[in-house]
Amino acid sequence: MTTRRRRLAVLAWLSVLSLAGSAAQSPQRIISLVPALTEMLFTIGAGPQVVAVSSYDEDPPQVKSLPRVGALLDPDVERILSLKPDLVITYASQTDLHAQLTRAAIPMFDYRHGGLAGIVDTLRALGVRTGHAREAEAAAGEIEARLAAIRARTAGAPRPRTLLVFGRERGALRNIYASGGRGFLHDMLVAAGGTNIFAEIDRESVQATTELILARAPEVILEVRSSDILSREEAEREAASWRPLASVPAVRQNRVVVLTGKGLTVPGPRVAEVVARMADALR
Amino acid sequence: MLQADNVTFRYHADTPLVVDGVSLEVRRGDLVGILGPNGSGKTTLLRLLSGTRVPSSGRVLLDGQEMARLGRREIARRMAIVPQETELAFEYTVLEIVLMGRHAHLGLFEVEGPRDYTLARDALAATGTGHLETRAFHTLSGGEKQRVVIAAALAQAADVLLLDEPTASLDLGYQLDVAALLSTLNRERGVTMAISTHDLNLAASICRTLVLIRQGRVIASGPTDEVLTPAHVRALYDVDADVHVHAASGHMTVVPVRRLRP
Amino acid sequence: MSLRRRLLTVVGAFGALALLVLVWAPTVGSTSIDLGRVFDTSIPWADNVDAQIFFVARLPRVMAGALIGATLAAAGVVLQALMRNPLATPFTLGVSAGAALGAMLAIAFRLDVGTLGVSSVPIASFIGSLAAIAIVYGLASSQRRGLSTNVLLLAGVTLNSFFSALILFVQYLSDFAESFRTVRWLMGDLDIGSYGPILAATPFILAAFAVFAVLPRALNLLTMGEDVAAGRGVEVARAQRWAFFSASLATGAAVSLGGPVGFIGIVVPHLVRLMVGSDHRVVLPAATLFGAAFLVLCDLLARTIMAPLEIPVGIITALIGGPFFLWLLVRQS
Repeated sequence: MTTRRRRLAVLAWLSVLSLAGSAAQSPQRIISLVPALTEMLFTIGAGPQVVAVSSYDEDPPQVKSLPRVGALLDPDVERILSLKPDLVITYASQTDLHAQLTRAAIPMFDYRHGGLAGIVDTLRALGVRTGHAREAEAAAGEIEARLAAIRARTAGAPRPRTLLVFGRERGALRNIYASGGRGFLHDMLVAAGGTNIFAEIDRESVQATTELILARAPEVILEVRSSDILSREEAEREAASWRPLASVPAVRQNRVVVLTGKGLTVPGPRVAEVVARMADALR
Repeated sequence: MLQADNVTFRYHADTPLVVDGVSLEVRRGDLVGILGPNGSGKTTLLRLLSGTRVPSSGRVLLDGQEMARLGRREIARRMAIVPQETELAFEYTVLEIVLMGRHAHLGLFEVEGPRDYTLARDALAATGTGHLETRAFHTLSGGEKQRVVIAAALAQAADVLLLDEPTASLDLGYQLDVAALLSTLNRERGVTMAISTHDLNLAASICRTLVLIRQGRVIASGPTDEVLTPAHVRALYDVDADVHVHAASGHMTVVPVRRLRP
Repeated sequence: MSLRRRLLTVVGAFGALALLVLVWAPTVGSTSIDLGRVFDTSIPWADNVDAQIFFVARLPRVMAGALIGATLAAAGVVLQALMRNPLATPFTLGVSAGAALGAMLAIAFRLDVGTLGVSSVPIASFIGSLAAIAIVYGLASSQRRGLSTNVLLLAGVTLNSFFSALILFVQYLSDFAESFRTVRWLMGDLDIGSYGPILAATPFILAAFAVFAVLPRALNLLTMGEDVAAGRGVEVARAQRWAFFSASLATGAAVSLGGPVGFIGIVVPHLVRLMVGSDHRVVLPAATLFGAAFLVLCDLLARTIMAPLEIPVGIITALIGGPFFLWLLVRQS
């Protein structure tokens, strides 16, 4: 081979190598604005690549030392850009942010809020995107297995009619918000073996009035309080708030359960645990 | 009947005196004119006489009693005010407005009785507005409105009326109407009146006594024909005027001739 | 027609309306119930769903609606007379902004100040309204002579702006779920679910109405101007103070109970004046009765029109109030 041809061959070979290398290179500086996806990142082993999180991130404990860049309504674009990320995880509705990141040629991963199945899909997609496809597949598989196990356990058992409350005034039956027939809270309830008394209402949240609750007469009232941690007495006191609705089967048979704990309503990798807790509460 | 004893008044601690050592007397049955240019303090003086403002020093006496010691209801039963203009925030009928004049005579939960209605209608008749009884106040002409407000004042207290610029916002015809009404009320019903005005000819035509006010001070007071002189007009308004009894109208008339540069 | 007879006719008519509405409303709703079962005392309480819907869900709701509607309408009448302005509302002077801020803080920061059968939010809300009353009164009475209605208006408007900004700030700081519930509170909610809060609000409202009962003639005169009123024998400063405090206290209690339900305090007084004239001795009782009926009817619509979902009652009153004012404007021009 002539020297010239050899040089060309080396050049071609180096270009192919670098291209392959960059394709194999996963993002090294990830910023996540979505707490659920931050948790997923740490679950699939991409934790060390996370350089900043949203203002609302709390888990896992490693995020506490990371810088904050705002959240859904107030992303701090300057800060984000200054951290020189190579992947930013955003909400699908943050169109302004998308425009700015596109101008800066920064790759994005969009999160769309979906049902229970959406969580597992997102986990897999995130795995591929960040170069942790294997770990993501393992985590997703585990979640699906656990959910399947719960479903199998509850298969033959009766499915109690349940009121799933995710917000209300402390100490009073006012401003009660319950899950409608759509969304991942509803999906979790179904997976846990319950029937949603508002299943036919095609909305994610329903403001449940006392009349509506009395009329639908749920057999179980499940309260999911993810923003406070209640002590045992406080949880009991809150459960006792339902006593005025004396004719509701859940009240008569003492089947009012208040679940508290951080991350109960985060559509992230811990869903299977939450569904397991719900399944226990429903039994 | 109504007396001001060396009263002074200032609105705030650091503002100048608006009324500066005024003493005057409104005798029973008299029709007194408080005459002066705008800003002379005559409206404030009228407010002091009515008790709606408290003098900074000096006293105002009603029938020998100090006004500051009397309650508003007591004062209202004997003395009524007719403001320059009446702006209503809500719609009331003429009769409702005149009946409101009876407020000071009614107990807390008392409702107007037949006597109150009689007095109200009487007052309307006296001011020539009886036919307007059921009309909404805001549909009346300027002159009619003034007469209704005078009727309300009459229904409230037939003893003493204080009027603030009673003809200032009226057309000429209505000015004459109201002036004639006031004169009649004073002569035939013995209503004591004190009018504050800057209208020289109104003062000249109906007032029996005049108190001339300039910059918060009395510069002259006494019977109209003695006090209303060209010298005093000059002192009040910096205007050279001709003052004489007019043959056709039968009362004193002031004709301004020339502005004097001070 | 003499005042006595007019008063009797008007109170009779509006009273009958109110009574009819109050008796009928609890029997109607998004769920059909059997009135026979409701009053059948042989059925044990825990088994009687119909009775529970009637006595736990609907009756407190209707009672709260009547109380709040009557209060806001009457307070509106009194404040319009005090401010000499038919566009004044019970919310003009900042009381409801104070109540709203109190409620927002309780919801957003999950305060636990409930006591005596009343939960945190109404209590925090009432305290907020008292703070607003104190601030506005302090500002308006700082002038030596009585109560200046101009300063009152300015203080109220300023407080409204300032507290609204604080409310937005609190909403911004709160969690997503909490912020939605704060917004919901602002739309008014009569689903009280118990009698405790109603009983707690009643003494304040009754005290205010006791004062309303002696104000009407003074209010008539106040609308003609402070000097005229004084000249006619009204102790103006005292009447103004009584009017301000009673109307504000009543508004604070009403808003703490069911949230700031708008338009009652201006639509009802206007409608009533169109029907019975401006004499406050007739307008006040008529507005009280009509206000009660009006809000209960609005709430009835709110809870049945989109069943099983509910439209917040404040939205219904706004949907009625807005066009009403457009109509008034067109009519006047």
